[in-house]
Amino acid sequence: MKFSYIAQSILIGTGLALMGMSPALAQNREESQGMVLLRGLPTLDTSHSIAIVELDPESDRFGEILSEVEQPDMEHPLHHLYYSPNGRLYSTGLDPSCSLAEIGLSRDSSGAPVISGITCLDTQGQMVGEDIMWATSNGQEYMFVTFMGGVGGDDGGTVGVFDPQTNEIVKVIEARKSQVGEGEPYIMYPHGISAFEDRMVVTSTVHPDLTTGVGNMLTIIDLNTLEPIENIVVEKEKPLNFPSSPVEVLFVRPTMHPEIEPAILANTMFGFETWKVPYDADSKSFGEAEVIYSGVANETAVPLEFYGSEDELFISHALPGVVKRYELAALPELVSSGPDIVADPGAHHMIFFTSASGRDLIAIQNNLLNLGNSADEDPTDVDFIADLNAHTISVHDLETGERIATIDFKERYNKGVDNVEGLFGSGFVHHH
Amino acid sequence: MRRVLLSLTAAAIVAVAGWVLWERARAPVATPIADFSAPFVFGRFSVPPDNPLTEESFILGRHLFYDPMLSGNNEVSCATCHVQALAFTDGRAKSPTLSGGELDFSSMSLANLLWGQERFFWDGRAASLEEQALLPIQHPDEMGQNLDNLIAELQASGIYRKMFRRAYGSVSAENTAKALATFMRMLISSESKYDKYLRGEVRLTAQEEHGRKLFMAHPDTKVSLRGGNCIDCHSQFLTSGFRDALDGFSNNGLDPDEALPPGLMAVTGNPAHKGFFKVPTLRNIAVTAPYMHDGRFETLEDVMDHYNDGIVVSDTLSPLILEADNAPDNGQGTVGLRMTPEEMQAIIAFLHTLTDEAFLTNPNFSDPFHGDT
Repeated sequence: MKFSYIAQSILIGTGLALMGMSPALAQNREESQGMVLLRGLPTLDTSHSIAIVELDPESDRFGEILSEVEQPDMEHPLHHLYYSPNGRLYSTGLDPSCSLAEIGLSRDSSGAPVISGITCLDTQGQMVGEDIMWATSNGQEYMFVTFMGGVGGDDGGTVGVFDPQTNEIVKVIEARKSQVGEGEPYIMYPHGISAFEDRMVVTSTVHPDLTTGVGNMLTIIDLNTLEPIENIVVEKEKPLNFPSSPVEVLFVRPTMHPEIEPAILANTMFGFETWKVPYDADSKSFGEAEVIYSGVANETAVPLEFYGSEDELFISHALPGVVKRYELAALPELVSSGPDIVADPGAHHMIFFTSASGRDLIAIQNNLLNLGNSADEDPTDVDFIADLNAHTISVHDLETGERIATIDFKERYNKGVDNVEGLFGSGFVHHH
Repeated sequence: MRRVLLSLTAAAIVAVAGWVLWERARAPVATPIADFSAPFVFGRFSVPPDNPLTEESFILGRHLFYDPMLSGNNEVSCATCHVQALAFTDGRAKSPTLSGGELDFSSMSLANLLWGQERFFWDGRAASLEEQALLPIQHPDEMGQNLDNLIAELQASGIYRKMFRRAYGSVSAENTAKALATFMRMLISSESKYDKYLRGEVRLTAQEEHGRKLFMAHPDTKVSLRGGNCIDCHSQFLTSGFRDALDGFSNNGLDPDEALPPGLMAVTGNPAHKGFFKVPTLRNIAVTAPYMHDGRFETLEDVMDHYNDGIVVSDTLSPLILEADNAPDNGQGTVGLRMTPEEMQAIIAFLHTLTDEAFLTNPNFSDPFHGDT
């Protein structure tokens, strides 16, 4: 989902307005600053926090935390940051006590951004927030949030529909497999979310305890009725002998590029594949799902996120830790637009920005699942694949992919880094 | 008993004298602005390192802003043409001169000057707020004051000597400019209905929301997108302009080439800047009539009519305006947005959401010589 024009004006526009400043002010460029969710590592006696970090390697303050606020006292950290179209900052959370939060931002008398607080929102019992998107139902805009744990149970999972102004819950979309009739569409462990016109898609990933159950399908939701209407299985190879666990999803659509034919793209975390499901907008029907990228054949695993620029789509693969790039205009087919960007194990979220000298950069956050590392005897480690926790942000030249610099958060701050978002929003197609 | 009284009196005199000497000798006080907080979404701002925001400079600047002592005839203050209730404009098409005539320009609204701009006045002739602050004071038609005379008058005032000493150390023209700039930088407006909407505190009406969408959209008939095209020039509408020095100046189609005033060209010497004037903030726009640099439009409806059907083409007309048309095939022989009356009213309704009553009545920004503030 691209930011609306107003969001671009508020977030990116203000950032872009900072260009062309004097050298003295170049150190204060906010375009190159990132919001990060930092995870306290139990063995290193640190706590969860949210911070603003300088990511421009040309800055004297590269890697420096410019502002930091501790997260509420809870076991599991906040998970994933999203800016609303009006510029409000939200985060999903893994802890049942704070599965969705709004984060306050303001400025001090020097003009510097300040994280002014974290407000946990009432989710009416929905737990383990994952992704957020803002979409319209019957002409009314809502904030949709996937809760992978739902309100609990072995086959839980809900999509929360919130009033985007008041943050109050409007509806909980729930359809348990154990409660709907045989062959009826259900929602289970929803994570990725995307939408086009009046169709929304969520994935079925994995039970939050990572052991009770794993999903293998997509759920289509009718945005007119806010009810699930169809399941689509996306499972073929099972390299781990698990269900495929579709994770992030992107409904590619003509508004991203006029040459794009609408279709769903979905990455399967345990199947290592990228799937395509064609969509006929006239008949509102989906075609046959097919694998368009095989991790087994290409020696990559755990594909995760979709991000887009004006002309490219980027997909992160946590193992071996690369970001692959594709021609945006060729979607929904994956036509390579250049060599892989080699990051670190756990390659996950990313942001795009320019350096003080105008160099186009990509910063990649390398860590999966907010988990610790078994090598540290970290009790939060779930080493089901191994070594997905580099806890770094690597900064690369966007054109060549060359790595320019790396921040090792574990080494420098004794913390893991779970998410990165631009201070003014990524300004790019993000997940949805 | 008498000796005791004399001793106490002597001690008191010594104490007072000591305090007076200490007060006069001590360095300026730099008390940070209490509880300062500004909206994140307005973007970053920067304050000159040699003129930080302090309580002392703000208090001094506020007094100077409202004091007619700053004019040559001691009858005109900054506030004469910048009235708080009118968002620091004066409600006139062109402000009056000291001799009873009219100035060339309309009085500009003052709000959120912390953000953005590096060029001030309609034609961008000042490169900083500090530079701007002294120009009207010295202008023979505006305040007609000689700076040396002004400094002598301020120096003669014990109250001002004390305020200057606390803020900057001494009375000077430079420090007068700094104090006025600080007061203007602190004129922060962030409590309009639209601000509250952005924070999630209120909802817009259906008409206001329609206007918001039109305001943000550049019309594109290929995809049936109707738009008011406002954001193309007014992207910094919540604050007061662009950071880049010459961004935020535009020719918005008011006059033909033969009648086009120099505008920014008078400053840059660049003919491509002929007829360029500052794109003003739209904050509190509903209370700042009349509109445009010369106040030629009395109402927002007049303004909308201009953009809808009254654009005058000239060599330097903004291409963003020239190409914005919701009905390009109508062949009406005019240039404009060609929106419906309902659409124009919706945009006007949205513009009214930018009015910040708390700002217009904030006692901290009011005349310190009157009332109880």
